[in-house]
Amino acid sequence: MEDLRFAGLDAIIILSTYAVLMIVIGWLAGRGKKIGKSVSDYYLAGRNLGLITLFFTLYATQYSGNTIVGYAPQAYREGFSWMQSVPFFTLIIGVYLLFAPRLYVIAKKANFVTPTDWISYRFQSKRVTILAIILMLWGLANYLLEQLVAVGHAVSGLTGGTIPYGVAVIAFIIVMLTYEWLGGMKAVAVTDALQGIILLLGIIIMLIGALTLSGGGIANITENIAATAPERIGVPDMITNVNWISMLVLTAFGAAVYPHAVQRIYSAKSERTLKHSLARMAWMPPITSGLVFIVGIICIQLYPGLDVPASEELVGILANDIAGLNTFFYWAMVIFFGGIVGAIISTADSVLLSFSSMISNDVYGKYINPSASEERKIKIGKFAGILLIGLLLWVAWNPPGTLVQIFVLKFEILVQVAPAFVLGLYWKRLSSRALFWGMLSGATLAGGMTLTGYATVFGIHGGIYGLALNFIICVVGSYFMPMGTDQKNQVEEMTAMKNQNVSTATD
Amino acid sequence: MKEPIKKPWIWIILVLLGLFNAPWYLPEGSIEPFIFGIPYWALITIILTLFLSAYLSWLCLTQWNIVEDEEEAEKDQKGD
Repeated sequence: MEDLRFAGLDAIIILSTYAVLMIVIGWLAGRGKKIGKSVSDYYLAGRNLGLITLFFTLYATQYSGNTIVGYAPQAYREGFSWMQSVPFFTLIIGVYLLFAPRLYVIAKKANFVTPTDWISYRFQSKRVTILAIILMLWGLANYLLEQLVAVGHAVSGLTGGTIPYGVAVIAFIIVMLTYEWLGGMKAVAVTDALQGIILLLGIIIMLIGALTLSGGGIANITENIAATAPERIGVPDMITNVNWISMLVLTAFGAAVYPHAVQRIYSAKSERTLKHSLARMAWMPPITSGLVFIVGIICIQLYPGLDVPASEELVGILANDIAGLNTFFYWAMVIFFGGIVGAIISTADSVLLSFSSMISNDVYGKYINPSASEERKIKIGKFAGILLIGLLLWVAWNPPGTLVQIFVLKFEILVQVAPAFVLGLYWKRLSSRALFWGMLSGATLAGGMTLTGYATVFGIHGGIYGLALNFIICVVGSYFMPMGTDQKNQVEEMTAMKNQNVSTATD
Repeated sequence: MKEPIKKPWIWIILVLLGLFNAPWYLPEGSIEPFIFGIPYWALITIILTLFLSAYLSWLCLTQWNIVEDEEEAEKDQKGD
């Protein structure tokens, strides 16, 4: 995306307008509220997100720029088997249904701010809590890095190199930090609404543009692919099918237990708001990754024979050609790239906020200075956010290989906290010792496999082997290392939903 | 009170929908017949995927009700 002929000054105007708009929204979201004084106001929007904002913040956070920039080339290279990118987003809602209903009730009752709050509350073990913090922060940092790399590429591509990669990254970090500091989670959620709408419109326009360029309906395209690249349109081989199912499981569990995903459960105004938002989210994959998949397939006909590095530039090449069609498409593509930038930023801001909240509340608030005021905790979180970004920036100057590989890598590790939620909420026998060894072994196996070049074995991801080992150790270990009666009673108390005590009041 | 975890049928159907989403049960490499311009197996996957969306959306709305009535009643009271 380095040599787009359609961009330059127009793109700079669009991006600047967009940046100013974000900051104004952040300011409006935080105006008149003492946003830096209360941890739950700053990090959870006062647990008061309504249907529209909750839905859009779930949407814009889950779908990042990578959903377009990374997945269209993936569909191009793999063909029809990349249809899996639709159900793997849908199944995330299935995993939410496994734990969100009860976690929502307990979180309101016990005033949780971070996912770690649940883990330390339920397991009361320092080492389990610390291990979970490390796994989650690692996953978040990696995810944030991916977004920083992506925003640099998107902006420099959009402006035809007028804004260089490095300047683009720093400029958007400043914009993001500004609105986040001004309005906290509320600002993140409201900007997400705008970013989500632009993203969706952008994808639809890109599809219309691609269909216009190809000049034919879907039937012509599929017949053409069947004649020229039958391996991309036939029923995939067994390994690909196994990998498909493995990807569904890995993504569904990984994305549902992302700290920022869990915090959106805490932020919901009410159970009704939460379940209606998730019910709508279940329909978004077909019109988001589904449409991007179709664009990738159309590109098989439009641009045959691209190798892996060339295909990574697919969205840029396509946008360039669409922009050349006429003035309408020219402007549509400039806005579309703005939408990609928005999609990246809307994911990055949530990840950064979640990271800061864990430093504030978990690391600093639980272990370093438990008696600190909430205001001070928030300040520490903000400061840690800057430090993290500084650290990630120098990694971002030398971006690693293709985007999708990084995406899988962070999931392998982060998904290992899943048993703490899906087992911990319902299975009273689950002991902290078993969980600790389960998470540690799972993360070691998954990380080890990826680092030694065995990211998948027989089509199954290392993260899934790790998760299976993790679950087995949790279950077997809990039978061999049972809890005392007192502890059992305590767990009973903690996982129960005492309806009469649950309040909808904001705190 | 309705809590999804307590209903095994929800999870059995969900696992089946996940398992059959990938076309491992169809002959490898087969493409035709095309239906509406789409290879038959892709159409099966599309239908199953849309059904998955519909199913999960329906589950959220109808099989999950723990504190909703209480919260809404409280909200109405506050509104009065």
